Amino acid sequence: MTRRQLFSRGAQGGAVLLVAGTSLAQFADDAAADPLSTADLAYGRLLVGAELLASDFYTRAVAASNSSPSVMKYLKRAYANEQEHYRSVAGILSDAGVTPAVSSDIDYMYPRGAFASQASILKLAQQLETIMLGTYLGAVGGMQSGSFKQGLAQIAASEAQHLSYMWTKNGLKAFNAAFPAALTIDQASAAMDAFTS
Amino acid sequence: MRYILGVLAFAVLGACFGATGAAAKSTRAQAGVTVYAAASLTDVFPAIDKGNSFSFAGSNALATQITNGAPADVFASANTTLPAQLFASGVVEKPVVFTRNTLVIVVPKANPAGIKSVYDLSKPGVKIDVANSAVPVGSYTLQVLDQMGLRSSVGANFVSQETDVRTVLTKIQLGQADAGFVYSTDAHTLLGQVTVIKVPAWAQPKIAYAMAIVARSQNKAAAQAFIDKVLSKQGQATMLKYGFLPITAPVPTITKLSIAKGKPGISVSLSGTNLNGTTSVTFKGVPARFKVVSGTKLTIIVPVKAKTGAITVTSPAGTATSTKSFTIIR
Repeated sequence: MTRRQLFSRGAQGGAVLLVAGTSLAQFADDAAADPLSTADLAYGRLLVGAELLASDFYTRAVAASNSSPSVMKYLKRAYANEQEHYRSVAGILSDAGVTPAVSSDIDYMYPRGAFASQASILKLAQQLETIMLGTYLGAVGGMQSGSFKQGLAQIAASEAQHLSYMWTKNGLKAFNAAFPAALTIDQASAAMDAFTS
Repeated sequence: MRYILGVLAFAVLGACFGATGAAAKSTRAQAGVTVYAAASLTDVFPAIDKGNSFSFAGSNALATQITNGAPADVFASANTTLPAQLFASGVVEKPVVFTRNTLVIVVPKANPAGIKSVYDLSKPGVKIDVANSAVPVGSYTLQVLDQMGLRSSVGANFVSQETDVRTVLTKIQLGQADAGFVYSTDAHTLLGQVTVIKVPAWAQPKIAYAMAIVARSQNKAAAQAFIDKVLSKQGQATMLKYGFLPITAPVPTITKLSIAKGKPGISVSLSGTNLNGTTSVTFKGVPARFKVVSGTKLTIIVPVKAKTGAITVTSPAGTATSTKSFTIIR
């Protein structure tokens, strides 16, 4: 999915909720036309790296084949979501003429026993989804181009859904923070460092 | 006799070409080939095969010397660009990639500037030492800063630009600057004397090393033997021991399925490329048992719970998904 498609899709999906005359599609045109700042390109690279990490985690979690059918179903759905997010944020870079990173560009590291059981998978999933949510919330405020804010907020909402599921599965109360923490780009990068090299 | 001639030839020609410049470090052995190699290979190459003569320096300086006729048999560069350029101009034969590396930040043990991440390097007053942009490590440094959107802010703190990576490392060790960019393999030679800080994976440049036989070499068979030794299982193991990364495995591809539909439990033959490292096969997300027949063929058992959809093959290098669905018959 390209940048233009991402934001066009956002416009179509949200149309029923918006008052007549509001044109999010216009943002898509702006997004496609505006040259990106180096800071925004850096953010795009960070988000691509975050999505590759999340996709790799869910790939391994599914491959471990040790979760209950219902959890397995959710892990697969979360993987599909992260793949769609990846295509969207990678599109930000490719539309700007930058080749986005792919899975083989990054080496992933997980704690010993991370995929040994459903419990260990859900525990690490909660940790990673906290990083994902914080990263996107930070990106909403951190990216200079206003064209991306809606798309980024939509992805943040998706990550929040994942996180809420992990919380409940880990025996905690459903995620109910009024203002979940946003991570700055350096905080998000440092958080990802624990899992990537 | 051959050995004596070899040593004499190296000595005479070395004198003619001023060896490999002021920054170069040479080690001479009793026989073998003359290897011009990137400074970051200083420790590992003699460990792989000490029966050669080595000259270590910045890859760009070595490339210039080889172009000008320096008596090298093998050129090993810390990038793929320089060997490719020399190949294009007929100076070397076709290069091969033999290892990978990553970039890190090193700070003095005392870390007087309190550097904890790349972002801290843009603080006013931080003194940063880097290799100049003509050297691969210097070029990679600028790539990292570009990719993180920090080139102007961090670049403003550059206080010195060196001719090779080992000089950057030494200056940081001596506390002559607050931070520097080096390869992780160089940093590990001074563990305990410098502190290593990661460069984020999402901003890492693709650092691949390539080597080639020098076209003018009079000792091509021995040169090829050295390259083979580096690429051998044992050579690669030594590279890993010194902190280098394995050559990236190519991403798998799927070209053909023996059948397009079938019942759970039957065997399907999948053709493609780079299938040797396959770690999982799924039918629309449902894991399947499989056997690697060769790098171009897998035998897969359709799982009981398989669903109609694409077949996905995953290896550490990446994932391939079939373009056509496999239909499950029940």
